[in-house]
Amino acid sequence: MSKILSVGIDIGTTTTQVIFSRITIDNTASYFTVPRISVLDKEIVYQSPVFFTPLKQQVFIDGEKVRDIVAGEFQKAGFKPSQVDTGAVIITGEAARKENSKTVLDTLSDFAGDFVVSTAGPDLESVISGKGSGAYQYSIDNLCTVVNLDIGGGTTNIALFDSGKVTGKSCYDIGGRLIRLDKDGTVQYIAPTAQLIADKVGVDIKVGSRTDEAELSKITDMMADILAQSIGLEEATPLAEATRTKTSSTGTFRQPIERICFSGGVADCIKSTSDDLFAFGDIGILLGRSIRNNPYFAKARRIDASQTIRATVVGAGTYTMNLSGSTIYYSRGIFPIKNTPVYKLPADVEEAMFKGNAEPLIQGLKWFMSQSSSSQVIIAAKGPHNPTFQTLEQAAGCLIKSADAVMGADDALIVISEEDIAKALGIAMNNASDKRRRIASIDSVSVEDGDYLDIGSPLMDGLVVPVIVKTLLFG
Amino acid sequence: MERDELVALITEEVIAQLKKAGWKAPDKPVPPPFAPQEKAEKKELPPDFDIASEEVKKIPLLENPIDPVELSHMKKRTTARIGVGKCGARLNTQTMLTLRADHAKARDAVMKDVDENLLKSMDLFSVKTQCDTKDTFITRPDLGRRLSPEGVETLKEKCTKNPDVQIYAADGLSSTAINANLDKIMPVLMKGLESKGLTVGTPFFMKYGRVAAEDQVAEIVGAKVVCVLIGERPGLATSESMSAYIVYNAHVGIPESKRTVVSNIHKDGLSAVEAGAYIVEVIEKILAAKASGVDLVK
Repeated sequence: MSKILSVGIDIGTTTTQVIFSRITIDNTASYFTVPRISVLDKEIVYQSPVFFTPLKQQVFIDGEKVRDIVAGEFQKAGFKPSQVDTGAVIITGEAARKENSKTVLDTLSDFAGDFVVSTAGPDLESVISGKGSGAYQYSIDNLCTVVNLDIGGGTTNIALFDSGKVTGKSCYDIGGRLIRLDKDGTVQYIAPTAQLIADKVGVDIKVGSRTDEAELSKITDMMADILAQSIGLEEATPLAEATRTKTSSTGTFRQPIERICFSGGVADCIKSTSDDLFAFGDIGILLGRSIRNNPYFAKARRIDASQTIRATVVGAGTYTMNLSGSTIYYSRGIFPIKNTPVYKLPADVEEAMFKGNAEPLIQGLKWFMSQSSSSQVIIAAKGPHNPTFQTLEQAAGCLIKSADAVMGADDALIVISEEDIAKALGIAMNNASDKRRRIASIDSVSVEDGDYLDIGSPLMDGLVVPVIVKTLLFG
Repeated sequence: MERDELVALITEEVIAQLKKAGWKAPDKPVPPPFAPQEKAEKKELPPDFDIASEEVKKIPLLENPIDPVELSHMKKRTTARIGVGKCGARLNTQTMLTLRADHAKARDAVMKDVDENLLKSMDLFSVKTQCDTKDTFITRPDLGRRLSPEGVETLKEKCTKNPDVQIYAADGLSSTAINANLDKIMPVLMKGLESKGLTVGTPFFMKYGRVAAEDQVAEIVGAKVVCVLIGERPGLATSESMSAYIVYNAHVGIPESKRTVVSNIHKDGLSAVEAGAYIVEVIEKILAAKASGVDLVK
């Protein structure tokens, strides 16, 4: 049994949070079969209060102050950065805030223990919050489709899970703090999307002017409609498309969606029937009410999120690490590796490779390396089901040939496959290279073109490696 | 009264009562995105379909299930015959026939012989235990654990002596398992062990062999480690499952607890090549620890 300490740091449009969790892994297979290392338990050992994200000039994140918060939380939790094994720092929410995210992450770099990754991008945030909210696990436990809407201050992150597989993801610039008010109802801030929606529903609203519940409700009702449209409950309008976060996927959400789950700060407002509609000085409570009263959402079969406002940070802290398959192959000392780009083989290249034709692979790899800023690469293939060893030997021969042609002699050849073939392929690769090249062959991990991987030091007597899949840092 | 009429009547009455209590119908007509699921489509099967195939078994036979989607979820979780419906107190004809077909497959796996052409193509010579027929093999387990005198002679004559590892295959209780997996697992085992710098004895095939015959093999060839690839007793789910029983420094009469087992080797369990790669590592570990079975785990 091994225990891993993981940190999650979420710097959102509105709130900043830190959690520490302990992930327990062990061999769950019986003595008579091959080992199967699985995550047995994820225990949150410390969670910070919910801080307001410190800002500069209303828009930019104040990196120094974020750093102070994180430093304070490490101290309160009683952990040193060096004790952290894995985790993620993510900057989420409104795009404008992300303009200085690189600088912010740099100020946090000494808290990034050996394996803390910094990652961003609306699609990935959607998946992370859907995992943190419990929607992902529910879809596995009940073998059904669950959509999670994580409604924060600036954005709504949407992910659809089908029995544990992500089948749709998207993000909309809709949230509870797109309009902020002072105590007497004077508008202090309007985000561009909120202005767009206000214009559309015929509400005249601008910074400095006074507004009221009735006018704001028109806006939040439309926001709720857009969210219903975003997951296909209602036919989408051009307005909905206009409010979609620019860098997110269009997301097709195959119907019927069997369950729906809300997380994020606004999720708490959907249930609450508080009298003080402007307790937070924003439209969060109104938006919650609009969603509650929306006829499309009212029809949906809802499940309760296990985490609401903390869904993203819990997801970042406990779900960003995957375990490889338990029968893998690697040269000693090859891991850890960080920020390595994935070259996913096109179907025809992969087919040729398993038939022993190296040429398409050499060309593809050459092209990829010329496009990539990194000198390292991970080759990803789906792999055949229940192959013969000869098939694997052919692929191994091609892989070694193309590595010799394209990479330096000291560069490691790392291959990752979906099917459970890694150990056998590793043996074949090792033989094909006459044991000269450092190699690794990992399986049971699914990656996409454009992903970057961190692969950690081996765990459980070297049986598995932790793998963190992330999208491009600052696309 | 028809069921649909009844539902309509009840709905009407409930809405009337709700309206009395001050409920307002929503302004917009609401489509039912989550409500009734489309019925699981009945696939047209070709007239000569195989009732024992995975594809056909996936189709629920239960007519008019209350929640067809949930039923398909349940069927995904298990290979057990659920959602098959019934006719009175009995199984439906198709269920009954599928059951018998699966049982027949299992019996075939036991009764059939391993394909001679496969053995020839892999260059494996054959030896026999003291059983002469399948019937003896099944009724006399003790004879399946001892080689015939000719078998002993053949091994003495053809096998390399005192290798680090001796690997061989035996039909055991499923020839089907050997037919399905042997040619996939042998190359990776042999090459994997050789690349670790280990000497591997001459592989062969043993007819009518049970696991413990490997102890006698160990004595004859003087191998440090013996590994037999043997067909597992088939069930109704698969008849292609193979196991490897690996033992260190074996002698006739060695306790069963000294064997290390890798089981469930078949296309839907652990694939043969991956199993082979794993066994290479297990054997390496056994040689380093000079122990197998429960002694290895200590």
